[in-house]
Amino acid sequence: MTETAATPKKRNEFISRRLRLSGILIIVGLIVEGLSLIWNHPLSFVAFLGLGGLLLAAGIILYLWTLASAPS
Amino acid sequence: MPTVAVLTLLAITAVFIGVIVTRPEITVARGGKILAFLGMFILPVFVGMLGFENHYERSKQTSFCLSCHIMNDYGKSLYVDNPSYIPAAHFQNNRVPRDEACYTCHTDYTLYTGGIKAKLRGLHHIYAQYLGKPEHPIKLYTPFNNRECLHCHLGSRRFEEGVVHTADPQTMADIKSNKLSCTSSGCHDTVHNVSQLDHVKYWKPQP
Repeated sequence: MTETAATPKKRNEFISRRLRLSGILIIVGLIVEGLSLIWNHPLSFVAFLGLGGLLLAAGIILYLWTLASAPS
Repeated sequence: MPTVAVLTLLAITAVFIGVIVTRPEITVARGGKILAFLGMFILPVFVGMLGFENHYERSKQTSFCLSCHIMNDYGKSLYVDNPSYIPAAHFQNNRVPRDEACYTCHTDYTLYTGGIKAKLRGLHHIYAQYLGKPEHPIKLYTPFNNRECLHCHLGSRRFEEGVVHTADPQTMADIKSNKLSCTSSGCHDTVHNVSQLDHVKYWKPQP
C-alpha cells in the first residue's frame, strides 16, 4: 500500500523539479533576449543568440526530455 | 513586428512559465499539461523567432552599422558635399533610404546572404572590434558587385540610354554581366574615399 502510493509521489516530484529547472532556464533566457531587444548594438545580437538562445534552447530541451523520460 | 509587441509577448510567456514554475502540480491535470506545453515550448520558440526577426531587421539600420567605431568614417562620407562621391550622392538625394543606407548597397553583407562562411565573417568582425585589431582601412571581401547597382538602376532611362553605357553594345552587356565594374572601372570610382575626408566640404542637412 505504502509502496504503490509512494511511486506517483516520487514521479510528481521528479517532474516538478525538472519543470522548475527548465522553466527557470527559459525565463532567464527570455529576460536576456528581452534586454538584448532594448539594447541597439551589434553585441546585443550576440547576447540574444549566444546567451539568450542557448538558455532558451537548454530549457526547452530539458522540458521535452522531462516529458519523454518521466518514470511511468 | 515592433519591439514593444515582441517584448509584450515575451512578458506574457514569462508569466505563463512563472505559473508553471511556482505551481508545477497543475501539470498533473490535462489542462495543465496543455498550458505547460504552450508556455514551455510553443510560446518560447515563437518569441525566439520574433526576436530573431526583430534583430535581423534592426541590423539593416544605418545607425546599427555605424555603432562600430571603425565605421565612423564611412558614416561621415555620406555627408560629403560632392556629387562625385557615389554613396554621398545616393544618401543625400534619397536614392537609398537614409535609415537603411549601408544595407541597401551592401545587401550581401555577412548576415543577409552568403551561407555559414559569411556568418563566420560577421562573428570575426565582432572579435576584431572588441578583442582583436581591425584591419585599417577595412576592405570588402569580394569586389563590389554591379548587381547592387542594377537592383535599382536596371531599366531606368538614365542608365539604359546613357551615352557612355550605350557607346558600344558590348559595354552594356559587360555591365549587366558584372564583367565591367560600375565602381572600379574608372567610371563611378569615387566611393567612400575615407582617406580624403579631412580635405572635403560637408553637407549639413536642414533641421
